[in-house]
Amino acid sequence: MKKLFLLLLVLTLFANDKDIIQAQILEKIIQNLSTNQKVVVWSDNREIIKEFNKKGNIATTQDCHLASIIILEDKKSLEKELCKKAVFVLDYALLSEIPHSFGSMFYKKGRPNIVIINSRIKEQNIKISKELEPYLEEKIW
Amino acid sequence: MVKREIVIFFLLFLLGLFLVYTYSEVTKSKERIFERIEQHEISKIAYVLQNMQQQILKHIHEYDYQDLITFFKEKEHAIAYEEMLAMMLTSDVKYSYILYRDEERKFRFLLDASKTDKASFNQKFDVNAHEYDLVYTTKKSQIIRQQNIENLYVTYLHPIIKNGEVVALFNIDFTTDIKSIILESIKPLETLFTLLTLFVVIFMAMTLMQIFHYFITKKKIFTDPLTKTFNRNYLEEISSVLNLGNYSLAMLDLDKFKIINDTYGHKAGDYVLSHASQIIKNSIRDNDIFVRYGGEEFLLFINNRDSKRDICERVRDKIAKEKFVYNGHEIYVTLSIGLHTNPYLEKNMQEAIKKADTMLYEAKKNGRNRVVVYDEKRETTASSSFSSKDLAFVKEALDEDRVTCYYQPIYNHKTGEVFKYEALVRIIAQDGTIITPYQFLPQIKSTNMHYKLTQRILALVFEKFRTNQKLVSINLSFTDLNNPDIEETIIQALRVDQDLASRITFEILESDEVDDIESFKQKIHMLHSLKAKVSIDDFGSGYSNFKRIIDTEANYLKIDGSLVKNIHKNSKDFKVVKSIVHFATQSNMQTIAEFVHSKEVYEKLLSLDIDYMQGYYIAAPTPELLKKEELFQ
Repeated sequence: MKKLFLLLLVLTLFANDKDIIQAQILEKIIQNLSTNQKVVVWSDNREIIKEFNKKGNIATTQDCHLASIIILEDKKSLEKELCKKAVFVLDYALLSEIPHSFGSMFYKKGRPNIVIINSRIKEQNIKISKELEPYLEEKIW
Repeated sequence: MVKREIVIFFLLFLLGLFLVYTYSEVTKSKERIFERIEQHEISKIAYVLQNMQQQILKHIHEYDYQDLITFFKEKEHAIAYEEMLAMMLTSDVKYSYILYRDEERKFRFLLDASKTDKASFNQKFDVNAHEYDLVYTTKKSQIIRQQNIENLYVTYLHPIIKNGEVVALFNIDFTTDIKSIILESIKPLETLFTLLTLFVVIFMAMTLMQIFHYFITKKKIFTDPLTKTFNRNYLEEISSVLNLGNYSLAMLDLDKFKIINDTYGHKAGDYVLSHASQIIKNSIRDNDIFVRYGGEEFLLFINNRDSKRDICERVRDKIAKEKFVYNGHEIYVTLSIGLHTNPYLEKNMQEAIKKADTMLYEAKKNGRNRVVVYDEKRETTASSSFSSKDLAFVKEALDEDRVTCYYQPIYNHKTGEVFKYEALVRIIAQDGTIITPYQFLPQIKSTNMHYKLTQRILALVFEKFRTNQKLVSINLSFTDLNNPDIEETIIQALRVDQDLASRITFEILESDEVDDIESFKQKIHMLHSLKAKVSIDDFGSGYSNFKRIIDTEANYLKIDGSLVKNIHKNSKDFKVVKSIVHFATQSNMQTIAEFVHSKEVYEKLLSLDIDYMQGYYIAAPTPELLKKEELFQ
C-alpha cells in the first residue's frame, strides 16, 4: 500500500502527459499517411521517438538520412540536404519557414491542433486517409 | 471489558461518521466556492462582451460591411477591437479571442487579443467540444469546464448575433490560478481530515479485533475442552443474571466413574465422559443449560416445562442403555441425578446447587442409577445450616488439587516410638492458607461432595503409605462406609495389597447415623476381612453403645478428647476414662487417648495404663511424617 502510494506520488510529479498525448496524436497522423516509400520516422524530439518505439507501431530511425518522414521541433535541427524529405513540424510558424513541410501538429491555447497543407502533400505525393481530411488547409494564415 | 470496547467502537464510529460528513461538506463547500467565483467572473465578462458585441455590430452597420470577416480583415478594426478585447485579460483570464465557423464548419480566428500563443487571422482552430456548435444552434452562451487543458479551467463562449443569426463567438479562457489557490489553501484541511479518518478507521479496526479476540477467548474460557459443554466459569458468569424461576436444576453424576478410569485408563474415562455428555446434550433442548461442574459431575438447568423428572429419567435411561465401546472394551455406566424443581426458592444459585447435590447424595446412597427429586416440605428444617459457599469451596479445592493430608503421630509411651499416624484432611486455600476440616466438613455433610472428599483422602493416604511401612489411621463416618463408591475404592485398593491393608486403621465415629446395626456390623466385618483394623473414634461422649462396640470387635478405642483434656484437674473425667480403659482391656481392645495437650494431661494418662496417646503436647499434625526424635518439641 505504502509502495503504491509512493509510486503514484512519483508518477504525478514527473509524468509528462503533454508529450505522451502529442506522441499519440502524431502516431495517429503518421498511420493515416502514405508516401511512395516505407514510412520511417526521425525526429529531433527524443521523447516522441521514445514513445513510438515503446508502442512499436511506427518504424523509427536514429539516422535522419534513413527516414522518410521527419518530425521537426526545431528548425536548426534540419540539415540542408534533408530539406527535400517530407517534414512534419511541431510549430505552426515553422510551416511558413520550411517550405517543404507538409503539416503541423501544435498546441494552440492549450488545445492540440493539426494542420495539413493540401498543396504540399500533393507536391510530395503524400496521401492521407479520410480521417485527416478535416485538417486540410489550402494555405498558411 | 467488552462493554467498554463496544462503547469505544461506537464512539469511534460516530467520530468516523462526523469526519466523513465534515469532509463531504468541505468538498461541497469547495465546489460551491468555485461556482460562485465562476458565476461572478462570467457575469462580469458577459456584461462587457454584450457591450462589445453591440459596438461591433454598430460599427459593421455604420461602415456597411457584409460580414465580420471583411470587417476584421481591415487592420485598423482588428487593432482597435484587439485592444478592447485585451482589456479583459487579467490574472484570471488567459486568452480572449473571437472565432467564427466557416462553411466547412471549421472554426477560425477572427481576432486574437491574447498576449501569448497568439493566432493569425483566419487560422484554423481545432475545437473538440460540442458546446462550440451549441452556441450556433442555441444562440446562447455556453460554459465549458475544462478537464484536460493545461492551465485552463473554464471557457466561456458568448455568441455574436447579427440579424438573428450567430455569426461569430467570443471565446474567453479562464486560468486555473484561482482554483489552484483555493485548492492549495484547503489542502492542509483535507489532509488533516484524511489522516483523522485514517486513524479512526485504524482504531476501529483495532477495537473490532479486540472485541473479536475477546469473544474467541470468552468462548474458550467458558467451554470445557473435553465435553464441549459449558464449564464452571460459565456458571459463575451467569449466576448473577440467570433467572432461576425459569429453570429446574439437576445435578448429574456418572456412577462408578473412578472404576472406569482405574480399569480402562483415563483415555477411556475421557471417552465415556465426552460421549455421555453428547448423549445428554442430544436429549435436552437448546434453551436448557448443560454445564460440566467438574470431574464426572454435571449440572443441567432445565427450562421450565412439564415433567422435568421425566426428562431426567429419560437422560438417565439413555445413559444406562448406552454401550460405550473403547478399544474393544464394552463399558456400561449409569447416572445418578439429584433434581431440584424449584431452585428459585433458594437464596442463590449455589444454595440451589447444594440442594440438588444433596438429592444426588440420596440417589447414590439408595443404590445409584436413579433420580431423586427435592421435596421442599420434607427438607425445610434439615437444610437450614447449609452453606453453599463451603460446597463450592470444597468443589474447587478438589478440582484444583488443593486437598491434602496432615499427619499427627500416635505415640506409644511404653516404647517411646511413633506407633502410627492419624491422617487429617486439610484444604490449601487459594491464598496458601491451610484450612482445617472444622471449617468445611460440617457444611458438606450429607452432600455428594462429602463422598468425593473422602475418596480423595483415601487415594492420598493409600498412595503415601503404600511403600513406607508405617501405620496410619483414616477417619470414616458410617455414611461414608455405607457409600458403594467408597466401599469399592477401599476394596479395590486393599484387596490387592494386603501389606497396606494390615497397616491401615479406619477410625469410625460411632454415632446416631448408625441406624442399621446389621449393616454397620457387615461393613466392619468387611474391613476386617481385608486385614484392615478398626478403631472406634470419639468414644465416651455423645452416642456410646457398649454392646455394639463389643459386637463390632474393634481393634482400638479412641477416648474422646472432651474426657481427656481436663483429666488432670477433673476427677470425674479421670474416673470415666479409667472405666473405659478397663472396659477396653476386658474387651480385648487397645486404647488411644487424644487431645493430650499438656504435660499434666500426659503424666496423668501414664498412670492409667493407656496404650497410645495423641495430641499437641506430643506433636501437632504436619504435612510430613514426624520421627520420634521430633516429638515433644
